[in-house]
This record gives sequence, C-alpha cells and structure tokens, in this order.
Amino acid sequence: MVGEAHVSMIPTTPKKVWSANVNGHAVQALAPSNAILLDVLRDEVGMLGVKRGCDLGTCGCCTVLVNGEPRLSCLCLAGQVEGDEITTVEGLSEGAHLAPIQTCFATHGGSQCGFCTPGFLMAAEALLDSNPEPTREEISCAIDGNLCRCTGYQQIIDSIEAAAEIKRGDAPAPTPASNPHPNPHPEGPDQPSMPPGHAR
Amino acid sequence: MMLMPPFELHHPKSIEEACKMASSFMELGESFDWVAGGTDLLPNYKWHINVKKHVISLAKISGTDTISMTEIGAMARLNAITESDDVHPLLSEAAAKVASSLIRNNATLGGNLCVDTRCFWFNQSEDWRRSIDWCHKEDCGTGSDCRVIPNQNTLCVATYQGDLAPSLMVLEGIIHLIGPSGSREIPAEEFFQLDGITRNVLEEGEFVLKVTFPENVSSRVGSYHKLRVRESWDFPEAGISAAWIPGDGSTLRVASTALESIPRLHLEQVAELSGEFNSNQIKSLSEAVMKSIKPVNNTTLPPRYRKAMVKVLAKRSLNQILEASE
Repeated sequence: MVGEAHVSMIPTTPKKVWSANVNGHAVQALAPSNAILLDVLRDEVGMLGVKRGCDLGTCGCCTVLVNGEPRLSCLCLAGQVEGDEITTVEGLSEGAHLAPIQTCFATHGGSQCGFCTPGFLMAAEALLDSNPEPTREEISCAIDGNLCRCTGYQQIIDSIEAAAEIKRGDAPAPTPASNPHPNPHPEGPDQPSMPPGHAR
Repeated sequence: MMLMPPFELHHPKSIEEACKMASSFMELGESFDWVAGGTDLLPNYKWHINVKKHVISLAKISGTDTISMTEIGAMARLNAITESDDVHPLLSEAAAKVASSLIRNNATLGGNLCVDTRCFWFNQSEDWRRSIDWCHKEDCGTGSDCRVIPNQNTLCVATYQGDLAPSLMVLEGIIHLIGPSGSREIPAEEFFQLDGITRNVLEEGEFVLKVTFPENVSSRVGSYHKLRVRESWDFPEAGISAAWIPGDGSTLRVASTALESIPRLHLEQVAELSGEFNSNQIKSLSEAVMKSIKPVNNTTLPPRYRKAMVKVLAKRSLNQILEASE
C-alpha cells in the first residue's frame, strides 16, 4: 500500500513514498522523511545484505553503490538519493552464479565470519569497475573505510587481486569451494531475499 | 542501533528556493539545519546532539559542485577534489587525508568547513552525556559547567577538527556565503570565530556557496601534514599547512588546525621572518608556531604531545615546500 501513514503515539516523522532503482528494479517504499538509506533498504526494500555495523560510518559494513559509487548507507539520508541507481550485494550475483569477486572471496579466505563481507564486496566492485588493474596499495586505499576483525585484510586483498585478474580475462574463473545452491532465491532472482516489511 | 530523531527533510532545487525556505522557517520560528554530505551531521543526530525540527538538504541543487583551480563549489565531494587534476595540489593532498575513501565519497567541501567542533565530553551518546550531567556545549537547559576547563561557563573549548580549512587559509581562499539577507564574501581566516559553540560567522539561514582563490594560486607551493591515530580513518589531532610563492618570503603563510576551537593562520609568527624564508628559519618558525597554540585535553591524544608534534609537523611542511621550490 502506498500513501501517507502516521502513527501519532510515537513522536515520529510522517511517511512518504520513496522510489529508486535498486539492483535494476524500480522500487517504491514508504519511508519517513528522516530515514537513512540503510533502514529503507533493509526494512522496506528487504535487502538484508546491507549490514548495520557501527551506524556512524566507521566500519563500512553498510556500503552500497549509488550510481556506481561506493557510499555509506548509514550516513546517507534516503531522500538525498531518491531516484538514483542503487546496487546492494544482492545485485552482484546473477541467480546462483556468483560474481567473480564473490567467488574469489570464497576461494581465497576473504570472508570468515562474513558480517563485513558485503561492504568489502561493494567497495571492491566499485574499485574494479574504475580501475581494472589495481596495485595492492590501491586496493588497500579503496578498502580503508571497511573494517574486518577476522581476516587481517591480507586475504581480502588477495581476493580482490584475483578477482581483478578474472575480470581482465587474465585468469579463468575459479571453481567455488562448494557447489552453489541450485536456487538461492526460491522466488526467483527478481525477488528480494525477504518480502518488504518483514524485517520489522 | 541508534534511532534517528524525528525531523523533516527538505529538498530545495535551487539556491533561491533554499534561501526562501530558510527565511520562511525563520519567520515561523522553527529550527533547522543544513545538510550537505551528512557525514558529520548524521552521527551527531544519531547521538541526539543539537537536533533540529527541519533539515534542508543541499544535495539536489545543481551547479554547486564545480571544481577548478580558482573556484570550488561547496557541494564538491572530497573524493572529487582528491582525484581532480584541476585543483591546487595542496587541496587534493589535504582532501585525500580526510577520513576514509567511503566517507570522502559522501563528504563535501562546505561540510568540511562547517564541521561541528569535537570534544570527548560531547561526542557521546545521549545516555552517556546525561550520566555526567551534560556539558557547556550541549547543556540541555541545565547551565552545565564545561568538563574540560571547569568553573567557566563563557567559552566552549571543543576542538575544530576539519582538514581543509588551513589549506584554504594558506592559499588565500575566499569563502562565499549566501542567505536570505543576500550574499557576502569573507577571507578563509576570518570565517571562523573563537568559541566551540559559535564556530563561524554564518548567521541563521546562511550557508557556504563556494570557495574562490586568487588568479595566481597555481604559482603557490604548499604542503599539509596531519597527526592522527589511525592513518586510514581519523580526525586530525593536529594539522599544519604551509604555502608560499617560491622565492618570495613575503608570501609565506602557515596555518594550523585541530588544536583549538578554530583553525589559525599564523601571521605574527611569519611576520617575524621579515620577508625572508630559508632553511635556517624553519626551526625558529616551527617553535614560534608551537608556542602560539594552546591545545586542551579533549581529543584522543594528550595536549602536550599534540603541541610537541606541531613543531614536527611544521618542520616537515616547511621543509617540503622549500625542497619543492628548489
């Protein structure tokens, strides 16, 4: 349902229709005027790959691409990116076929507990889109806004280097460590991983 | 998880509309804030610091993000300044040292200039601040004492920790302001006002439009050195910017940031050189700059260490501009 909604019991901001293009699909959601992009993507659009870490821009777990640029969705008001192209980690793979960067994180140990991984993937994807041949130095500069408490970063840099080689066509795509689930999105790749509103 | 306090976001499409919006809120007596990138304002809002009823976003106003050697729009993103070949190298060097690459994608020049002053008694959650009975900067109507320098309720000593201000000062930048009562221009060194609460000369409803530089700015050679805890992500604990037109000692300018409530241009200390600048004077000038600043204990590193580091940073900056000129 789309329209005005207002709960008078709690001091809150009236909700308005928010629209954008998320992972190639036009999306409309009801969002309060003071909502940050992170909340709208997680709670209204259902993109749970966007992680809430520090909520203050320190950890980079909430990184998404806005018009191809990596941005922190926790420090971005949803209203400021209305109508823009937004890519979350769900938009990287094509159904069961992981993107090269995702496969490399799996095969090179770039992801351990996995909480920071969506942020790293988005920052790395943006780097590889603009610079197909990054040096290790350039990679560490590109991920300097992302924190990982597990890997010690070396495996992450290895993964991004390997993904860059695959993207350039210098190396064949590696076989993933385990077979991908034949159908990771039971309702089809067009559907978000969770129906809108369910995360609440 | 921190809940965003209730406020209404507004999106003017032009500068005129933004000014009109501001004056209508002023007439109604409603409080409002400007937001550019939001990397400073939104964390403060999440901590329920200085929350206003309305927030006016400058993001949808086109034409305010121009980047050239003599003019940079207030909405120019710091990453764009870092990567641009058109801006003065000192500005791209200073912008590259701001926080992390992800923050720089959101953050803007105007936002960096107007960044709120910081203090470890102030930049805390609401519960934390309530537990110490608030502080002078955000006293919530209680008239609380300053926690850094007790028994004085006249001056807020929160530290200004913006990176770009000293570089604008040494490049003789002029800050252009606009508001409901018209536009005005002010040299970068006069933009800031001594007090952690007042911060700058911006009047209600005014915002930074752009920064311009003199025609000969490209002939200046500059250097910025910054002290921080983590190299990839931190506010400056001390920062020194220096620039001059090679060979002309009278054009030397040195400015510091992150040491007091405002960034400072050190005109008096440079004037003591009486128009000459060579490698023999670097030591005495660095010491004079160090002696002129008085950091207080309200950021991560102790003030004595920060003060001592000012001399080191000034030496590095001055050596670098001298070497680059040879």
